[in-house]
Amino acid sequence: MINAVLVFNNNGQPRLTKFYTQLDTQTQQSLIAQIYRLVAQRPASACNFLPLPPLLSQGASSSASGPSDTPTQITYRTYATLSFIMISTSTESPLALIDLIQVFVEALDRMFENVCELDLIFGYETLHAVLGEMIVGGVVVETHIDKIIAGVRAQEGSLGKKKAVQAASTSLGRGALPGLGAWR
Amino acid sequence: MNANLQYPRFEKSLYDLIKGLRGHKGVENEYIQNSLRECKAEIKTQDMDKKATALLKLIYLEMFGYDMSWASFHVLEVMSSAKYLQKRVGYLGAVQSFRPDTEVLMLATNLLKKDIVTSSIPNMSLPLITLPHIITPSLAMSLLPDLLSRLSHSSPVVRKKTIVCLYRLALVFPEALKLAWPKIKDHLMDDQEDGSVTTAAINVVCELGWRRPHDFLPLAPRFFELLVDSGNNWMAIKIIKLFATLTPLEPRLTRKLLRPLTNIIQTTSAMSLLYECINGIIQGGILDGEENLQERDEVATLCVGKLRGMIVMDSDPNLKYVALLALNRIVATHPTLVSMQQDVIMDCLDDADVSIRLQALELAVGMVNSDSLQLVVNRLLDQLQQAAAPAAELIDTPESPKAPTLWPNDYQTEVVHRILDLCSQKNYSEIVDFEWYVAVLVQLVGLLPPSESEDDWGHPKEQDAIPSSRMNAALRIGSEIRNVAVRVKGVRMEATRAAESLMFVDNRSTFFPSGSTIGDGVLGPVAWVVGEYAEYLLSPNRTLLSLIDMSNASLPPRTLPLFLQAIPKVFVQVSQTSQPGDLWKSEMSLLLARIVEFLEALAAHPDLDVQERAIEFLEVLRLAAEALTSNTQEIPFLLASVIPNLFKGLELNPVATNAQRKVVLPDSLCLEEAFNHDLPGLFRSLDSLSLHESKSWEASDFYHLPELSSPNKQTRDLAPVDLQAPASYQNFTGAPVEPSTAVQRRMLERRERFKDDPFYIAPPGESSGTSTPFHEALNTSNGEVLDIDSIPIVDLKLGDEQLSHVDFDRQKSRRRPVSKLVVAADETFETQNSLTDNSRPKGAGDDHPTYKRSLLQVDSSSLGNLSLAKGPSPQLGADDGDMEMARAMQQVEEVRLRMQRASERIQLEGTPAEGTLVKKKKKTKKHVASDRDVGPMVEDTTEPAIEKKKKRKKKTLESEKLSGEN
Repeated sequence: MINAVLVFNNNGQPRLTKFYTQLDTQTQQSLIAQIYRLVAQRPASACNFLPLPPLLSQGASSSASGPSDTPTQITYRTYATLSFIMISTSTESPLALIDLIQVFVEALDRMFENVCELDLIFGYETLHAVLGEMIVGGVVVETHIDKIIAGVRAQEGSLGKKKAVQAASTSLGRGALPGLGAWR
Repeated sequence: MNANLQYPRFEKSLYDLIKGLRGHKGVENEYIQNSLRECKAEIKTQDMDKKATALLKLIYLEMFGYDMSWASFHVLEVMSSAKYLQKRVGYLGAVQSFRPDTEVLMLATNLLKKDIVTSSIPNMSLPLITLPHIITPSLAMSLLPDLLSRLSHSSPVVRKKTIVCLYRLALVFPEALKLAWPKIKDHLMDDQEDGSVTTAAINVVCELGWRRPHDFLPLAPRFFELLVDSGNNWMAIKIIKLFATLTPLEPRLTRKLLRPLTNIIQTTSAMSLLYECINGIIQGGILDGEENLQERDEVATLCVGKLRGMIVMDSDPNLKYVALLALNRIVATHPTLVSMQQDVIMDCLDDADVSIRLQALELAVGMVNSDSLQLVVNRLLDQLQQAAAPAAELIDTPESPKAPTLWPNDYQTEVVHRILDLCSQKNYSEIVDFEWYVAVLVQLVGLLPPSESEDDWGHPKEQDAIPSSRMNAALRIGSEIRNVAVRVKGVRMEATRAAESLMFVDNRSTFFPSGSTIGDGVLGPVAWVVGEYAEYLLSPNRTLLSLIDMSNASLPPRTLPLFLQAIPKVFVQVSQTSQPGDLWKSEMSLLLARIVEFLEALAAHPDLDVQERAIEFLEVLRLAAEALTSNTQEIPFLLASVIPNLFKGLELNPVATNAQRKVVLPDSLCLEEAFNHDLPGLFRSLDSLSLHESKSWEASDFYHLPELSSPNKQTRDLAPVDLQAPASYQNFTGAPVEPSTAVQRRMLERRERFKDDPFYIAPPGESSGTSTPFHEALNTSNGEVLDIDSIPIVDLKLGDEQLSHVDFDRQKSRRRPVSKLVVAADETFETQNSLTDNSRPKGAGDDHPTYKRSLLQVDSSSLGNLSLAKGPSPQLGADDGDMEMARAMQQVEEVRLRMQRASERIQLEGTPAEGTLVKKKKKTKKHVASDRDVGPMVEDTTEPAIEKKKKRKKKTLESEKLSGEN
């Protein structure tokens, strides 16, 4: 299962934190900081798998090959200024998780029309709604972009946060995430 | 501004907050504190719009680590809002901020019930996606019926979310699965079911599968069907993962799966599916079976071939990484097949990506055999050499992926560790040429990265791979040299000579650059080797001079004792190699003078161990020097026999680290009993004792009499009170004072007592003459070498010591003959020390949410003992279910009651739990009454109780449906 989904920018500022277990705020923050340190030192050409940070490697028995409840995989992908991280157990396929992040980003792109970091900041609730349509309780429920979008649209109707985002973008400028769609 | 339309204007919206945050760069904390204060005020208002906005801001700030647990009650308020968008904020607040100790959750039960059965799908989704985050056993208990009804909802969106939600429910409340599983299974079996729902169900089964694979075995045909026909790669991946846990239980599945899996491997274009197929074949043990040899080998070859393709053809680092990951799993069963891919794996050792390199390194350790070992190690050595050469000039240039020379020191250290792993695995059985290995070790010393910081996790790779107990690399190299010297008699001379070369003072500047701590680690074990095997030394004289070089005094206290022990050993060697005569005498006197000088410098060392050892040898060697001054021509007895005998005896053999633990304690040994029950009292009375009337406790005099301040007693000065005559370790007063007669008498008695104690060395001035008590003590203890070495190799004299040879029982038969050199294996005892198994004891009934062993871990162990009624039979005994429900209901009510009491701060001790049951849900009074009836009767399982229970449930369901429709 997926244990956590994180999004933060190049400076390590969180943009989305979703932990599928209850974890106190302090630990959440230090975990984010540790993972950010890992991501930050990786060159663009490196593969999309992170080693376990100290906080997670404590309880993990890396040698055990069979499935367990312990999170052992951290998959990340960086788009422009944002890094998307998924922490998961071994029951998830590492390559499929990379695809899942791609689906997530593409869905956001459809929701916000050329998504950029600012959209996610101001469309905070929509960001959560999109994730909620894809993953429930750490289990993937939908990977089909159309259905994800339909689910979010059904929640927000025609109103939504789009207006807020547009208002924000006119004053603050925007740039789409490059590299989107270039993969696969 | 448009954004503010849905929120009142006077307060900051989330948009304003974010804008404000961006506008207050540098003073953000102050701004946030202000905002938090505003939120606190706003959230308390009656205006729901204000409340929701304030909550949204709090949730946003929570993401940055600002606690909002205080607002949990307000979260509930917003959750109960009638407006959907506000409700959504409330639910988001619950997801992000509720923790296991959030108490208000109990109040939410009715709200959640209502929202689950609402008619609007978005509304219904909110509790479904929120519950997995906040679920507790009691909540699960009361919401289960409502959730079960959602499984047959007309919308697939609701169905798929409900399935997953029920899975998370089952994790805290395993009974839920018993009721939910038949329905989930129906969805799974239904061909007409929406694809998303089937996928969600498969995902859940995949999570459950490895816990209880037996329960899902009967469904294998359906999984098979879905795998072959669905065409959904996401689902196929999960099904393959599931099959990997099922195949070990049912060998017949293997044959069935082999064809479709090979088919997918050969045809699919989706790399993730291809990879999972290979992975499934490996993990499912399809390659390990007994029969069908040829077919299996074909598959194995196909898999390895595809993996090779992933490494070679694609420049995608992800594929490289996962391919190496998969190869790492294959290597255990098919090492030969993997070592055929040696060339590509070796290339990965030089990859730009550290993750890939480390995976390849790990693979190399598993892959090597005696043929490829030298090749791999030499390649790694080359890599280290490249890194070492230009590193000095390029230190300031930023790291670029193209320059492998700039790999962090941690990586280089890791490589060193891996080389040592490679060579030392299976008790050195892969090494053919030990002389080569010794040369490699010496080379490694020079290649160690200058400063390794083991506790700083600057480069996390390392942390991942290195268990905390792992020694520092320098110490490990030194220990390897020692190990080879001890274990492999055939190269003992070479190893000793290598150690010698490292020991020479004039070589040290090349091996250990100044300012690094490498030398500290290497030199300790190396010193032990040159001492223990001094007879092999090329130039004992030069070695001795290196050992007593004054610069050694600055070595760490951990290393110095090893030097101290080596000095007399090498000295003995020196004294025996040259011809006795006048020249010899003067040479020895000169040497002894230098040694004494060195030891004197250490006699005031702040470390007690160093100080004690230095002083002991100092005294012995002073005696030796004294003996030399006599005019007789022959070698003094002390030098000819006494001192050499200190170090001669049985050879030291390697002993397994856990051997000591296996030694059975004698019955008479009591470790719990205190020596003296009134120890503090003794210390107190010491002050009042005068010097000469101390017959009561001689030892106290021994420790405290001022005239006994001879150096080796000083170190034992343990009394915390006696500080008026401070025995400073710095102001050490040279020679020992001549003991008074009274003291001498006591010392004689004491010596009698400590005759057998090998750690006791007789005081100076007494040991002249041929048969000193000192010498006797040595001889009486079986004439063996008394262990004075602090080397962690212990000589256990237990009668049955024999040199056991390496057993070359390898997993696979390899044709390599036993190497010419015999490697001594660890000595140990054959006690079956059964390890306590780690099976978690857990009753099905009494599992309160246990705390995670690892962060983020979702504990699903409770499912392990849950039997899905002997296989997922759809006809779950309805009575059984109800009884379980009733029992669980009772438990839950008790827990609930306890929590409620705690929250209301009312002490109700002594009141029977059933009697004071207060129901939060106010369905009807009648239900409460019936519940009371059921409570105590559940144990008897009498019929009427169960029937009532059933009725009650039906009614509840009906009434809930009604309220849902309202």
